[in-house]
Amino acid sequence: MADEKKPAVPPPAAARPPPPPPKNPGFVTATIDGREVVVKPGTTVIEAAKSVGVEIPFYCYHKRLSIAANCRMCLVEMSNAPMGKLMPACQMPVAEGVAVKTDTPRVKDQQRAVLEFLLLNHPVDCAICDQAGECKLQDYYMKFNRQPSRLDVPKNVKGKRVALGPTVTLDQERCILCTRCVRFMREVAKAPQLGVAERGNESFITTFPGQPLVSKYAGNVVDVCPVGALTSTDFRFRGRVWFMSSARSVCTGCARGCNTFLDYLNDTTYRYRPRENEAVNKEWMCDDGRLSYKYLNTGRALAARTGRGAQAQVVGRAVAEKQAAEALFAQARAGTLAVLLSPVASLEDLLAACHVAKEGLGISVAYVGGRPDGWQDEFLKRADENPNRKGLELAAQAYGIALRPFADLVAGVQGGQVKGLWAVGTEVPDAAAVAKLEALEVLVAQSYGDGPFARAATILLPASPHSEADGTFVNFEGRAQRFELAYYPRGESRPHWALAAAIGQALGLELSFATGQEVFRTLGSKVAGALGDFQWDSMPSIGKRFGIVPLAAGTVDGRLAGNRDRVPSETSEDYRRALARSR
Amino acid sequence: MPYPLKNQPADLRESMYFPEIIRGFGDLARHFFKNLFFSRDRNPDVLARKRGGFGYSDNVTLQYPEERAPYPPGYRGLHRLVPREDGRPRCVACYMCATACPAQCIYIEAGEYADDPIEKYPVKFVIDEMRCIVCGFCVEACPKDAIRMDSGEHTPPSYERAAQIWDQKRLLRGPSVSYQYDPWLRRGSPSISPEKLEEMRARAKPFPSVATDEASQTPGFSVRALAQEARERAEAAKR
Repeated sequence: MADEKKPAVPPPAAARPPPPPPKNPGFVTATIDGREVVVKPGTTVIEAAKSVGVEIPFYCYHKRLSIAANCRMCLVEMSNAPMGKLMPACQMPVAEGVAVKTDTPRVKDQQRAVLEFLLLNHPVDCAICDQAGECKLQDYYMKFNRQPSRLDVPKNVKGKRVALGPTVTLDQERCILCTRCVRFMREVAKAPQLGVAERGNESFITTFPGQPLVSKYAGNVVDVCPVGALTSTDFRFRGRVWFMSSARSVCTGCARGCNTFLDYLNDTTYRYRPRENEAVNKEWMCDDGRLSYKYLNTGRALAARTGRGAQAQVVGRAVAEKQAAEALFAQARAGTLAVLLSPVASLEDLLAACHVAKEGLGISVAYVGGRPDGWQDEFLKRADENPNRKGLELAAQAYGIALRPFADLVAGVQGGQVKGLWAVGTEVPDAAAVAKLEALEVLVAQSYGDGPFARAATILLPASPHSEADGTFVNFEGRAQRFELAYYPRGESRPHWALAAAIGQALGLELSFATGQEVFRTLGSKVAGALGDFQWDSMPSIGKRFGIVPLAAGTVDGRLAGNRDRVPSETSEDYRRALARSR
Repeated sequence: MPYPLKNQPADLRESMYFPEIIRGFGDLARHFFKNLFFSRDRNPDVLARKRGGFGYSDNVTLQYPEERAPYPPGYRGLHRLVPREDGRPRCVACYMCATACPAQCIYIEAGEYADDPIEKYPVKFVIDEMRCIVCGFCVEACPKDAIRMDSGEHTPPSYERAAQIWDQKRLLRGPSVSYQYDPWLRRGSPSISPEKLEEMRARAKPFPSVATDEASQTPGFSVRALAQEARERAEAAKR
């Protein structure tokens, strides 16, 4: 590899003419497919080509990893190549005056030949491969090769489902040995747990014996793998990627707020994928964050409810909201009302809740809930596992509400000073303390899940998490980040801000919001100063990707015949429609 | 069959009525006896039907449902999931049929075999036959020849709508099929005994290049044979 960088040995006799001065001083100017490109010195040909819209195919190259140049897919013609060889575009820096050609018959021929080699032992089991639909072997085969295999001996047989660790499954036959995963684990995750074993076409990716892939960032190797060799154990066989739509979202696993794509179908979230943001998470995220989507799907509270235990009964949301407002107002008048705010709720949620608490109920002290602290490292994960603690502080500050820890609330309940509680979000740091809240006379809980806290509530209002609303999280650095609505709220649930606004209306406040945007337009001015140049409407330019839209018609037995996801039937829109028809 | 009606006043014979009435009775009697004993249809398909016997005419009317016309070759009937020889479905839950289905009537949930070279299989495979538009795209899309519409019957009617939602238990039926390239034949499978595997290997067919190949069809139902017969009949009718 290093030899290729050296220029050809010049003939000894002929004096070399001095190189012409650079066309653009301080920059390198070259021609790629006839187009002039001006780049910083040291830029690789592949990046320079991308900047002028010339696509050079590659597998092993990754802009955040070291250069391996082992897939040979990006070979191009360069005018300064020794002996006219084809050069790897991912490795060669652009030199002054060089002419690069990426579409000559020679290059095309090479691309076809390389693909034939890469596919030689590939099992072509796309039918059972989770990567199908986002696989570069599929894409490049259709683009550059389109030839049948000429192999007339049996293909290599290797391990088909090797569980490398708790989150990653490896299919060694599908691997093209680009070593992206090896380089990722070594250079980014700083945990060199993967390596290549054996030689030649017997080589395969593996862990060291007895040492599984246990890094907390192992899930990223699934994303960097350009083929279907490394697949997510959690997502394995759960669905096909082309059915799913992607919404731009933010991970709620910790205070870092890694940018994500939230892949969903109907009203089920299937997975998070990291979304590129140079300032926050580059393009990585941790495994705990990846798996933190599960509360969006399962164990949800989807209907309003009044009463505890045996007295519990499902009521309409409007009725529950009205009862909640009356009960809260009575408690506020008696001076025994407390408000619990959760840093898992979005900034819009908390602004609306603070507004109602201050203006409608006259509250000046709020208690902070939120999930308990977890592990922390120096790369991405923060100990604070709540996405919006900073946003909570900003919203409370804007309304002059003092914040107290959750332990004070428990003490207040036990001491009898607090008899009514309005919980905006039911995540609490101390799960054992939830039992003590059953002593409250009034507990209005706006909850995502139907857990112990929701069961302790006298009035339960079902709330929608971030997948079902537009909103903002403020991460630990004070960076406000927007997330977008993926699908409409499930069941009777509504975002916290809508529930808070409904309570506020019942208390006589002039509040009416249709969207999260309206909440921020109305109330966001109070915190806008602290958010820097944040613009609510400016989402990153990467668009929302749409998959299939399932037909709305349902079947009589309530099952979605045409749907391709695992919506529990009692939560699906079609089921509700079918039920309504049959009654 | 329309025929030209001349717009002219009745002549003497017509205005006498009786000759025309007698002629009309003659026509009626001719058709009556022809239909009763000598009816023949020019359609070779109808002629080829096994019919007749004492007391039956060669009338074109079929006494449905006692008599049924055979469906033509290529008829797209009720779906079936093709079984392997060990009784498991050939289907690997790749969702290609569900992707191709314009009516979105196919619902699949994938699971994982612990002991089979094909890792993926359908835990649930449901077709809503009420929503199905019988286009046959699912059969064309299937890369494993695992779903076919060659059952030669249409979806049976039912009194309950729920009975039209066919799940794997009802869909998995009919003759099993194996191809030489099938992974369980190439790699072996712990769930199939070695003797059975040898037997299956001996019976396996090369994968058909086109869907109407004889090899791809159910034994006893050959599209090529049927097409050849139809061709011969057409030629015989010409002569």
